Amino acid sequence: MIVIDHDGCIVCVGCSSVCPTSAISYEGNRMKVYPDKCIDCSICVRVCPADVIEMFKGVKSLKELEEEKAKKLI
Amino acid sequence: MYDVAIVGAGPAGSTLARICAKNGLNVIMFEKKKEVGNPVRCGEALGKVELINQNLELPKECYSLEVRGAKLYPPNKANPLVIEEGGYVLERKFFDKWLAELATKEGAKLKVYHKVEDVKVRKNHYTLNVKHGGRKAFEVDAKVVVSAEGMEALIARKLGFPTVHKPYDVDTCYEYEVIPYEHEEMIELYFGNEIAPRGYVWIFPKKDKKANVGVGVGGHITTNTKRGNLKGADPKYYLDKFMEEHEQLRNSSTLLDFGGVISVGAPLKSFVKGRALVIGTAAKQVDPIHGGGIALAMQAGYIAGEALVKAFKNKKLEESFLKKEYEEKWKSINSNKLQKRLVLRKVMERLGDDDLNFIFKELNKEELHNITKENFAPAVKKLIMKRPSLIKVLSALIS
Repeated sequence: MIVIDHDGCIVCVGCSSVCPTSAISYEGNRMKVYPDKCIDCSICVRVCPADVIEMFKGVKSLKELEEEKAKKLI
Repeated sequence: MYDVAIVGAGPAGSTLARICAKNGLNVIMFEKKKEVGNPVRCGEALGKVELINQNLELPKECYSLEVRGAKLYPPNKANPLVIEEGGYVLERKFFDKWLAELATKEGAKLKVYHKVEDVKVRKNHYTLNVKHGGRKAFEVDAKVVVSAEGMEALIARKLGFPTVHKPYDVDTCYEYEVIPYEHEEMIELYFGNEIAPRGYVWIFPKKDKKANVGVGVGGHITTNTKRGNLKGADPKYYLDKFMEEHEQLRNSSTLLDFGGVISVGAPLKSFVKGRALVIGTAAKQVDPIHGGGIALAMQAGYIAGEALVKAFKNKKLEESFLKKEYEEKWKSINSNKLQKRLVLRKVMERLGDDDLNFIFKELNKEELHNITKENFAPAVKKLIMKRPSLIKVLSALIS
């Protein structure tokens, strides 16, 4: 899945316009990610002009992401 | 039940709304942003032709500066080519609002901060799922739905149009509004593989010594390592480098900092599906050379608007009729031209900096004028005579 740093995001919708699975969309004045739709293709990361998208391959939900991060800290 | 529901209140949507409402149709337009035209995500340059065609007089507050033409610089920044064609550097914030206001004056209804979340195809109409801010979604019925959504085009996607972009067919852009910048009331464009791979740097002058300075680079071009250890296009890197190397811009201040993505590929194959239309950038109706889409969007809005009016009047609200009146009409005006310009873009991205310098030096005014009118043959013949190695790349332009 991907994580967008909303502080740096310029809401240009570049990521959502190249996303092949509509896993990103513009909602309530910011970009929203649907992790379950993400297929880890990383096209959005490559295209993002503001460089605020981070890719976590193989991770499927925010909960899993937290666990991954916790593992790294240990 | 509305006659026409439009998703997006940019230049395309507002133009279509204006034409439809003027002719008595019941029109509703939804804009997801809190304010029409804000935030700006655009270089803001527009030629005069489309405004004249639609008989519109641009109010003073809608543009910052009237420009005399454009200067095109090769990689070594010597021998710029000059195109003398008047145009405007807009204030999109006010321009978009003005177009939307014209539509509402004709009787169209506009709702901002309303996001169309979903669309369902019924037997003789469409049902839109609309959300106002954080409130619960409600339903709106319309006989025709028009996607004028711009780059994202999610509703168009849901309606079955292939609007997903490939990285190769987008340029990822970054732009600063800078002050002070002494200019000659000319647009400046800088080309080169070092300056902006598969793209260009633009300087659009504005009033009070301001300017929009931006860059677009090919979305497929990998330059530096991004987050998550992936390679990606980084327009900011190129823009900062350009500013640093530029005598005036090195010391200027920035007033605005933003980025975006533009389409530089071919338009969709079809703009009509049932009674759903796509217009403007959502249909990838964008010039593949410079990525400009405002004029084409307004034109598409106009043509599609007239098509809808005709269809309602003659009770011929069907795909074949709309295809004939909108899609085929639009294509007969633009397809040939855009196709040739796409080939020119693909040729330009294969040229090295040395070849570009040579070409800029050799071309004269008349040949350049011909190129802007998609007549490449005279220039190509001359260039190949003088530098035969160019035949490999340039031959695509005359075949």
